[in-house]
Amino acid sequence: MDPARRLGPAQIDVVAQLAVSTVLLGGIYALIAVGLTLIFGIMRVVNFAHGEFLMLGMYLAFFAFTLRGLDPYFVLLIAIPIFFGVGLLTYALVMRGVIHASHNVQIFTTVGLSTVLQNVALVLWTGDFRVIRPWHSSVVLRIFGTAFNLSQVVAFAVAVALTVALIAFMKWTHTGRVMRATAQDRDAATLMGIDTDRVYRLTFAIGIACVGAAGVLVAPLYAAYPQVGLQFVTLAYVVVVLGGLGDMAGAMLGSLIVAAVEVAGSYIFGAAWKEVFYFLLFIGVLVFRPAGIFGQRGAETLGA
Amino acid sequence: MSRLPLDRWVAIVLFAAAGLTPLVVRDVFILDSVILILLWGALSAAWNVAGGYAGQVSLGHAAFFGIGTYAAALMSARGQNPWLGLAIGIGLSVGAGAMIGYLSNRLKGPYFALSTIAFAEVLKIVASRWRGFTAGSEGVPVPFRPGFATLGLGHVAWVYLILAAALLAYGLQVYLERSRVGYQLAGVREDEDAAEALGIATRRRKVQAIVASAALTSLGGSLWAQYVGFVDPSHVFSIDLSVRFALNSIIGGMGTALGPFLGSVLITTLETYLRATFSGAKAGFTGIYLIIYGVVLILIVRFAPEGVTGIAARWRTRRDRAHA
Repeated sequence: MDPARRLGPAQIDVVAQLAVSTVLLGGIYALIAVGLTLIFGIMRVVNFAHGEFLMLGMYLAFFAFTLRGLDPYFVLLIAIPIFFGVGLLTYALVMRGVIHASHNVQIFTTVGLSTVLQNVALVLWTGDFRVIRPWHSSVVLRIFGTAFNLSQVVAFAVAVALTVALIAFMKWTHTGRVMRATAQDRDAATLMGIDTDRVYRLTFAIGIACVGAAGVLVAPLYAAYPQVGLQFVTLAYVVVVLGGLGDMAGAMLGSLIVAAVEVAGSYIFGAAWKEVFYFLLFIGVLVFRPAGIFGQRGAETLGA
Repeated sequence: MSRLPLDRWVAIVLFAAAGLTPLVVRDVFILDSVILILLWGALSAAWNVAGGYAGQVSLGHAAFFGIGTYAAALMSARGQNPWLGLAIGIGLSVGAGAMIGYLSNRLKGPYFALSTIAFAEVLKIVASRWRGFTAGSEGVPVPFRPGFATLGLGHVAWVYLILAAALLAYGLQVYLERSRVGYQLAGVREDEDAAEALGIATRRRKVQAIVASAALTSLGGSLWAQYVGFVDPSHVFSIDLSVRFALNSIIGGMGTALGPFLGSVLITTLETYLRATFSGAKAGFTGIYLIIYGVVLILIVRFAPEGVTGIAARWRTRRDRAHA
């Protein structure tokens, strides 16, 4: 990627650098995708507004840094509860009414939500690119012939920790089991006394908290602007479809694959064309393995 | 004639009013509004052929629109005949539509929508990065060369040309409501497995619907490029545009011939009104307009997913029952 070009081949080991970049990028993509796959898997709703919550997270980090001088890693602590609340509110106002509606209604509800959030950001904060440079984004680490900045490493570490914590929560806690049961069979879960409305509310709030946190983490690395969500969410769709519907471990692996495609593509063909590669990958996966690389065949034709 | 249903009468009145406007007024603002209402109506009708009649809800129709705009604009900019560009655009869109239709045939609901978004995004990136051919993200200005052959027309001529395109789109929809192919498509939309069990070639019908829809969308795109005079890749391939095609149909009533045009009357008028109201707040305008647009979309699909024609039909049945 870019650091490799800047430093020149003499100072760094290209293959190692590409590998490390892939892993670091993959970790961040995983946190964005894991919320999407959670909502997708349990509520059977594709949240087309997912990227806009990432955008809001980035703006939160930007304003906390420029107005209050707060470091994004500190902001993260307040961002998670804030976005959990935003998720609860969005569920109550928008999602709750369409949870049992048809695909079309759900698609256009979240598309409408995405349009609203993007343009609220545009009206309130203009279309300018907002960049923050906390001290850690200019600290360069060099290990084994590779170079990257501290913000990238911390973003990766926190993203992976949050993703793993979420997977553990889903696997081992009672609430997690209840959520998975609802995903498997909505009606049976209701008959077993599960309050599915509460499950959906919680699912949506957790998903939004994850992507909001991801927004705060990427704020030191990428510029924030009203349409920034689209850039990330499209790759999150790729990750989710690659990993298989609602499969969180699959999403982590899918993130690595997408990151590898992006890193290798931009090294070989130049950064300008990198998006083309994951869209082509996306179309390829949708066409040939729509249930994901590890998913069951035919899942895409179910009431997804 | 008395047996003609109400929605056909409304359509006749609508198109007749559009056709008569240039005879009565020469005000450029009003003629421009009529042109845009008809054009967005025709484009939404094109979307409706795939999304409404065949149930192939696409969020990537900007891909076909963009192909049409670029085909016409690049030919014009190179001093060639824009009509030839229009034809090339239709040819390319038919190819693209067949490819998308064929490749994403098994996909349903959100998966289909996602694959169409991805397709439009790929074209957007190619159009903005392939600088040697498309002039990149700066966009392509379309030179104004007066004359019908070069599509450099006055507002009055544009009204009639766009009206012809709108009638073509409306006609195709009416055909789908009355023909065997149309009934088969409805079968595919409502229950694909059942349709297939009845011997309908569901796969072929779906691809045909997308191809027809793509061709019409491309035609509308070429006309738009010649009318507006500038093609910007980040606009012509945008999701916002794809949503706009869908939105008009949803508001008017998906899978009805009149729906897209009714939706276009409402949304385009709203846009024009807001543009006039907020013209002082320059940067804020697009934002405010699109916020309202998004809220309308959310409310409509929530409370009236069958659109205006659906609400009208519900009232009429209620009234008829009361009279009976």
